[in-house]
Amino acid sequence: MSESDDQDIKMVVAVVRPDKLGDVKEGLAEVGAPSLTVTNVSGRGSQPAKTGQWRGEEYVVDLHQKVKIECVVAEIPVDDVVDAIRESAHTGEPGDGKIFVIDVDDAVQVRTGDSGPEAV
Amino acid sequence: MAPLQASTEALNYTWVLVVSFLIFFMHAGFAMLEAGQVRSKNVANQLTKNLLTWSVGVAVFFLIGSGIASLAGGGGWGAAYSASGLGWIDWLYGAVFAMTGATIVSGAVAGRAKLRAYVAYTFLLAAVIYPVVIAMTWSSTGPGLVEVITGTAFTDFAGGMIVHGMGGIAGLTAAAILGPRLGRYNDDGSANVIPGHSMTFAVLGTLILAFGWYGFNVGTSAIYSDGFLAEQLGRVAMTTTIAMACGAMGAAAVAWYKTGKVDTLYVANGLLAGLVGITAIPHTTSVWGAFVVGGLAGAQLPIVFSFVEKTLKIDDVCAVFPVHGSAGVLGTLLYPFVAAGNVAIASAFIAQLVGVVLIGGWTLTATAIIWYVFKMTGQARVSRSHEQEGLDVSEHGVETYPEFGSGQDTVVADGGEVRTDGGTVDMTEDDNE
Repeated sequence: MSESDDQDIKMVVAVVRPDKLGDVKEGLAEVGAPSLTVTNVSGRGSQPAKTGQWRGEEYVVDLHQKVKIECVVAEIPVDDVVDAIRESAHTGEPGDGKIFVIDVDDAVQVRTGDSGPEAV
Repeated sequence: MAPLQASTEALNYTWVLVVSFLIFFMHAGFAMLEAGQVRSKNVANQLTKNLLTWSVGVAVFFLIGSGIASLAGGGGWGAAYSASGLGWIDWLYGAVFAMTGATIVSGAVAGRAKLRAYVAYTFLLAAVIYPVVIAMTWSSTGPGLVEVITGTAFTDFAGGMIVHGMGGIAGLTAAAILGPRLGRYNDDGSANVIPGHSMTFAVLGTLILAFGWYGFNVGTSAIYSDGFLAEQLGRVAMTTTIAMACGAMGAAAVAWYKTGKVDTLYVANGLLAGLVGITAIPHTTSVWGAFVVGGLAGAQLPIVFSFVEKTLKIDDVCAVFPVHGSAGVLGTLLYPFVAAGNVAIASAFIAQLVGVVLIGGWTLTATAIIWYVFKMTGQARVSRSHEQEGLDVSEHGVETYPEFGSGQDTVVADGGEVRTDGGTVDMTEDDNE
């Protein structure tokens, strides 16, 4: 770490239902962590495979469309962020997604050159 | 020329020019329909084939095809380049029909045919195959070949068999000889579905084609001949519209019955099959007949597609045989049964059958010989690695949907040379020394 070691930088990676993205954004804003990166992804987990159809013939689709949200935090308690995502992305059905928390070594802000927790 | 005669000619030829432009616009429909039904890695290849079908085909039809048609039809070598004025309007009018037939084949051989093989086939279709078909029928100076054989004339008003039946049979034959796309069939013979990349383009193309089809069918009737031809124009417009609608509904109903779902692509393909079905007979068919022809042409589509796919094991990518081939044959054969006036059913049916067999047999034989020669000389298919990579990059050096790499000099990850000719981006070969 370049500057202060008293604050850890964490990345919260969440894979959630695309239609829950709006709720998750709102939930993250409420806990003070509005910055995020969103990617369209495909994946599979506990959600059962579904069938697609092309000219009357079915084929199995076992990779489901999801969105991956990456949210890097330093000052905000990471548990709050995880809880906010979990509550706002929850439906109770298989396929709600997963949340992972990863340690981040360092961060640099491109505009200012600041590094460490300040950059987050 | 008397003023009335001059006005009549001006009226009819203005109409012919306008419908020729409408029929030309069907190429936009074919391009979108086929682009939507192929994978994203083969879209530019499909679009290029559609552009070159028109470009190569129309030039060849001008220089050679029109001459062959007139020669084989008993009129001597009368190629279009020695015509003038009205003759060139007549030539363009014939050419847009010819190119509609030619472009059907590209949908059947999508995703694996070599561009040079496809273009060479288009050359031969525009120079010989189609001209011989019209020499038997429309371009014959005397009675057509069917009338010579059976004593009854062959009825194909706008090209249900002559254009669409021919195109569908040619496509099926070429696809059969070419073999299926990689991964289309498993070792045990069961079929895998390879979805196309854009339902949106497929449906847009369908409706553009349907729009151009009014030129194709209604435009086959003149406006004025010993009086305003309102009876014929109105009947063709009505039967064309009703058959189109019933084709979509017929395919939707059968797809619904077979799978419990109304399949969008079947509805789109069925709409076209309904149009193909009525194209041979829009000027004679009764009101109820238009419903029957369109409905049956749509209903046969899911059944014939399954038969081609699962029994014949032919990879007809864009379903050109069920849409153009079997629907065209069906409509042509139904002529005496659905006609509004009195038609001697037995003799008319025999004439229709003989016409279908002659045109189908000639098209199948000529197409089979040409593609077999391509296959034997190793010119029919792209290599396995090019097919896996996609024909856009390997045949054309382009990507239809590029993601990254714009801007400055592109550097490849291993520091090697960037190749855009498609020749050496092969994963299985080590060309980046």
